[in-house]
Amino acid sequence: MSNWNSIKWLVWVALYLIPVFLLPWAVSRSWVQQRGGTVRYTPKELFERGELGLLSLVLASGVIWDFLRSEFAPHTIAAGTVLLAMVGIMAMTVWVETYCRQHSGTDWHPARAWRDSRSLGLFVFSMAAVMEILLDRLTRLGAQ
Amino acid sequence: MSAPAPALATSPRRIVAVRLADSAEVIGVLSLVYAVLLVVFPVAFPNAIVKSWERGQLLPLLMVFTFLLDTCLYLRVAQRLSAKPGILAAACLGSLPLLVVGASSVLLQRSVKYVLLSDLPNLHAQVGEEILAHTYLALVSAVFLPFLAIRLLQQWKKTF
Repeated sequence: MSNWNSIKWLVWVALYLIPVFLLPWAVSRSWVQQRGGTVRYTPKELFERGELGLLSLVLASGVIWDFLRSEFAPHTIAAGTVLLAMVGIMAMTVWVETYCRQHSGTDWHPARAWRDSRSLGLFVFSMAAVMEILLDRLTRLGAQ
Repeated sequence: MSAPAPALATSPRRIVAVRLADSAEVIGVLSLVYAVLLVVFPVAFPNAIVKSWERGQLLPLLMVFTFLLDTCLYLRVAQRLSAKPGILAAACLGSLPLLVVGASSVLLQRSVKYVLLSDLPNLHAQVGEEILAHTYLALVSAVFLPFLAIRLLQQWKKTF
C-alpha cells in the first residue's frame, strides 16, 4: 500500500488552488461587503472570461521549473516541459480568444469560455500533480 | 414552375468543430487516475508498467488504448453536436496517436540508454522511473496532440 508521504505532493499542488480560487473569491466577497452590497459572486461568474487559463500557465511554469532541475534524463525533461508548456499556453489562449471576441464585438459565450478554461485548468492541474509525484519518487530514489 | 418541396431542400450536415476542452477534460481525469494509482500502489503499479515494457507489450497497448480513446472522444463530440466527422480529422486521429506513441518509445529508449551509461546508483530503479514518466507523457500527448492538430487545422482552414 501507499507510503502516505507521497500525498504531500498532492497537497503541495493543491496549495496552488488557494490563490487561484479561494483568494479571488474572498477578495470579491470583502469588496462587496465594504460597499454594502448583497450580491454573491460564484467562481463561474468570477472567471467567466477564461481567467483560469492564465492561472493554469502560472501553475505550469512552477512545475516546469521543478522538472528542469530534476535528475531525469534530458530527453524526459525536454518532452515533459515542452508538453506542459504547450498545454499551459493553450489554456492561456482561452482567455486571449475570449478577450478578443469580447472587445471586437464578435459573438462571445461566457459559458463556453468558462467550460474551456475549467477543462484545461483541470488538465494542467492533474498533469502537474502527476509530474510532482514522479519528481518526488525520483528524489527519494536519489536519497537512498 | 413550382417551388421545390421543403422536405427535399435539406441543408447539408456541418463538419464537427472540435474544441480542446473536449479532450482536456478526459485527459485530466486520466491523469488523476494515474496519480491515484501511483500514490495508492507505489510499488505494484510501477512494477506492472516496467514488466509490461520489458515484455514488449507496453507500446502496442498504449497505441490501441489511445487510438480507441481518441476515436470514441471524437465520435462523442460529433454525436453531441449532431455533425458529421471530417476526413482531415479522421486522418489525424488515425495516424497521430500511433506516431506520437512511436516517437515516445524512441525517446524512452534513448533515455534508458543515457541512464545506463551514467554512473548513478540504483540503475534499475532509475530506469523504472524513466519508463513511468515516459508512459505517462506518451499517454497524455497521444490523446492531446491529435486534438490540438485538428483544432489548429480548423483555424487554418477558417483563415485561408
